[in-house]
Amino acid sequence: GRLLVVPMDGSHWFTMQTVVEKLLHKGHEVVVVVPEVSWQLTKPLNFVVKTYAVSHTQEDLNREFKIFIDAQWKSQQEGGILPLLDSPAKGFFELLFSHCRSLFNDKKLVEYLKQTSFDAVFLDPFDVCGLTVAKYFSLPSVVFSRGIFCHYLEDAAQCPSPPSYIPRMLLKFTDTMTFKERTRNLLAYMGERAFCHKFFKSAADIASEVLQTPVTMTDLFSPVSIWLLRTDFVLEFPRPVMPNVIYIGGINCHQGKPLSKEFEAYVNASGEHGIVVFSLGSMVSEIPEKKAMEIAEALGRIPQTVLWRYTGTRPSNLAKNTILVKWLPQNDLLGHPKTRAFITHSGSHGIYEGICNGVPMVMMPLFGDQMDNAKRMETRGAGVTLNVLEMTADDLENALKTVINNKSYKENIMRLSSLHKDRPIEPLDLAVFWVEYVMRHKGAPHLRPAAHDLTWYQYHSLDVIGFLLAIVLTVVFIVFKCCAYGCRKCFGGKGRVKKSHKSKTH
Amino acid sequence: GRLLVFPMDGSHWLSMLGVIQQLQQKGHEVVVIAPEASIHIKEGSFYTLRKFPVPFQKENVTATLVELGRTAFNQDSFLLRVVKIYMKVKRDSSMLLAGCSHLLHNAEFMASLEESHFDALLTDPFLPCGSIVAQYLTVPTVYFLNKLPCSLDSEATQCPVPLSYVPKSLSFNSDRMNFLQRVKNVLLAVSENFMCRVVYSPYGSLATEILQKEVTVQDLLSPASIWLMRSDFVKDYPRPIMPNMVFIGGINCLQKKPLSQEFEAYVNASGEHGIVVFSLGSMVSEIPEKKAMEIAEALGRIPQTVLWRYTGTRPSNLAKNTILVKWLPQNDLLGHPKTRAFITHSGSHGIYEGICNGVPMVMMPLFGDQMDNAKRMETRGAGVTLNVLEMTADDLENALKTVINNKSYKENIMRLSSLHKDRPIEPLDLAVFWVEYVMRHKGAPHLRPAAHDLTWYQYHSLDVIGFLLAIVLTVVFIVFKCCAYGCRKCFGGKGRVKKSHKSKTH
Repeated sequence: GRLLVVPMDGSHWFTMQTVVEKLLHKGHEVVVVVPEVSWQLTKPLNFVVKTYAVSHTQEDLNREFKIFIDAQWKSQQEGGILPLLDSPAKGFFELLFSHCRSLFNDKKLVEYLKQTSFDAVFLDPFDVCGLTVAKYFSLPSVVFSRGIFCHYLEDAAQCPSPPSYIPRMLLKFTDTMTFKERTRNLLAYMGERAFCHKFFKSAADIASEVLQTPVTMTDLFSPVSIWLLRTDFVLEFPRPVMPNVIYIGGINCHQGKPLSKEFEAYVNASGEHGIVVFSLGSMVSEIPEKKAMEIAEALGRIPQTVLWRYTGTRPSNLAKNTILVKWLPQNDLLGHPKTRAFITHSGSHGIYEGICNGVPMVMMPLFGDQMDNAKRMETRGAGVTLNVLEMTADDLENALKTVINNKSYKENIMRLSSLHKDRPIEPLDLAVFWVEYVMRHKGAPHLRPAAHDLTWYQYHSLDVIGFLLAIVLTVVFIVFKCCAYGCRKCFGGKGRVKKSHKSKTH
Repeated sequence: GRLLVFPMDGSHWLSMLGVIQQLQQKGHEVVVIAPEASIHIKEGSFYTLRKFPVPFQKENVTATLVELGRTAFNQDSFLLRVVKIYMKVKRDSSMLLAGCSHLLHNAEFMASLEESHFDALLTDPFLPCGSIVAQYLTVPTVYFLNKLPCSLDSEATQCPVPLSYVPKSLSFNSDRMNFLQRVKNVLLAVSENFMCRVVYSPYGSLATEILQKEVTVQDLLSPASIWLMRSDFVKDYPRPIMPNMVFIGGINCLQKKPLSQEFEAYVNASGEHGIVVFSLGSMVSEIPEKKAMEIAEALGRIPQTVLWRYTGTRPSNLAKNTILVKWLPQNDLLGHPKTRAFITHSGSHGIYEGICNGVPMVMMPLFGDQMDNAKRMETRGAGVTLNVLEMTADDLENALKTVINNKSYKENIMRLSSLHKDRPIEPLDLAVFWVEYVMRHKGAPHLRPAAHDLTWYQYHSLDVIGFLLAIVLTVVFIVFKCCAYGCRKCFGGKGRVKKSHKSKTH
């Protein structure tokens, strides 16, 4: 079949690419639509790539992202998704949302896409454009994402999530909450419903413009046939799901390859203490100097060799046991038996590589779902979370020594690892299956719940409850009146006497 | 590993057999326990059968089944039927309860089970006797079921069931309901506990006695690690599910065997018109004579050869094209390309065999979930439902001619068949995987939602909503009072004048 892919830039693309490659390998025709300015998408690929011109440059993209990242080193937001509305992230998101206008301005590309009859769209909903494309060409769609922002999974998949035990995104709550936490959770949920549309305003505006009819984010999300979510219930707390929501967490863990000579040498030289792998992900290139020095100091105090992926300026106090590298084969290193701990920003890819390979983690979440990932690993006793803004060298040293020397961390992560890897089918195969399924059957309408056709009060049966209450009240009222009437008849004499007596006294 | 199996007698057991056979082939030791008065559960080569004595005979069980078949054809008024069914359920369930009690008080038998140190228990929770055994032996449990009455399953899994689009059992509603149907759905939900209390609450008391702690039916059912549900979303309407529910509908459609010579001859002799397969399941042995004659008459009017599985008296008006057999290889016959239609009581096994093989159905539901199954197939345009009490020979004839000659029925069932069979993993493998999973990991606590630890008002956040409402009301009250006070201050002179003026007039 023919598949249209609308991806998202950055590490999101890494795992999506493996699915696309496998689909290509299975003989499908794949067309990927990407902006001409990006970090990862413009790298040479072995399938058809259609680029479209955008109104900004690579520098604009880098600058906006740097504003966002730098802000994370100054202060971190608390309290769910709402502070995102007016944060340094806004500029970056506006840039992403604007891609869609650029795509549809490319008339030649749109014409080409229209002429090529695709069976389905495979998309990352992060920049919303994939959803707009699916709706514009009326194609069934498969979503590929870590999670869905705001309440759009609840709305568009009709997936119930009681705020009493399902923590909202970015709140750092677990599934067991105190009364106070539950209150904040409910408020955050209500806040999302009230304000999220503002965050996505320009995305929805662009979509409305393209589709020439006013649409909301829920309208864009709701036709999705299959939701592939890059998580599972080893990381995520168990919650209600819908039949068309498929969990493919750990899709990025491959069998480790043997290390290159360079890294093999580092590992072998580490002796009995082994190594610690340290990476804050591909998005963070520079750490403020003072923070970097503190980190370097802490790393110098542990007996392990530390392999630190860092592209910024070398901290002056870097100890002998710490090796700075521009890039490291993270999954392969984590799979090495000499690896004792993993210092990570707890992005979902890193977390799953840690789980797959059973390496206890010290987590320094920076933004987005990283806070939630860290919280989840912490509650399961598989890692320690540090606040990257407040932590001192001592904190980091203690955290590292704890996860390395306290055996419970290793035991817990090994248990999670064995649970995670024990599955009836590999996540990559599952993802490929469902994309092909949607292509074969032109969507999956039989998995679409009838709830989509109900209003909110119908969904909660409020109209029925009101109707039944009205009946009960009417019956009670009538019965009461009848009884009262009956009583008056029976004890009529007395009553009348009393009444007349009373009226006389007036 | 060592697996204990406590099955339900009847057709439930037949689909469990395949799973047990696979597990034995994978090297597990399987022990099946069953009452001495079992009908279908017999010795098998791939498991050890251990029977326990019960205070009733096989004949008693057979008698209740014969009676069950008979009640289905009873031409009583609705109210009388309800009363009769109620009395029957009460009688039968107290017999089965006595069997359970006999087992649990059989100290010798229970001790021998305890000594065997099983890794897991596979049971059908339709009667929660296995659940008590599981708690007594403290082994993790896997449930293998079609559906539990009265939403016991959704309560025990904490699965949300919006009454607005998830039809209640026996409501004859589809997932798209009008207002009155939704009212009916809510009323059924409110009233269903009545029937269930008769059957289920005695198990709570029995468990309380055996386990020597206060146990409700909920407490018995909710610790189950995995729920293997014998349905899927081709048959059922999409609705919320929980991560520990695994859908294995169609597990009974195993590989087809070639037909025996006898049946091959029947099929070949049918000519271009092909055959119709007719079975009301293993539970119905006799149909009232008048009804049987009507059916026989209708069957005589179609050009197809009818193979009728019937153990009762031969109707005197049986036509030449109708062949009565004591037993038929249902799945193999349905798989034959000459099969044109399937007359079924729409038990879940028959329905799935019809779906697998893509045979349009004429459905005569008799009791239990059969009504629901028939409704589901009917809404999908894959069959016609007849009311077995009211139908005439003409109705049956018309229904048969419709599903055979109107191509849409064949097309719809073929579409359902292709959707049903398009799955990433076979249901049998999935069932075997999850049983082994529970044996390996001693349960699946990470799939247990935190909702189990909440009270109903906490689950629905009613306490939080109340608290927030109280705050809002307090604030409104204070603001109002302040405003009132402010107003009085500002327009103090006027106010006081007015007031004093007023007070004077009094």
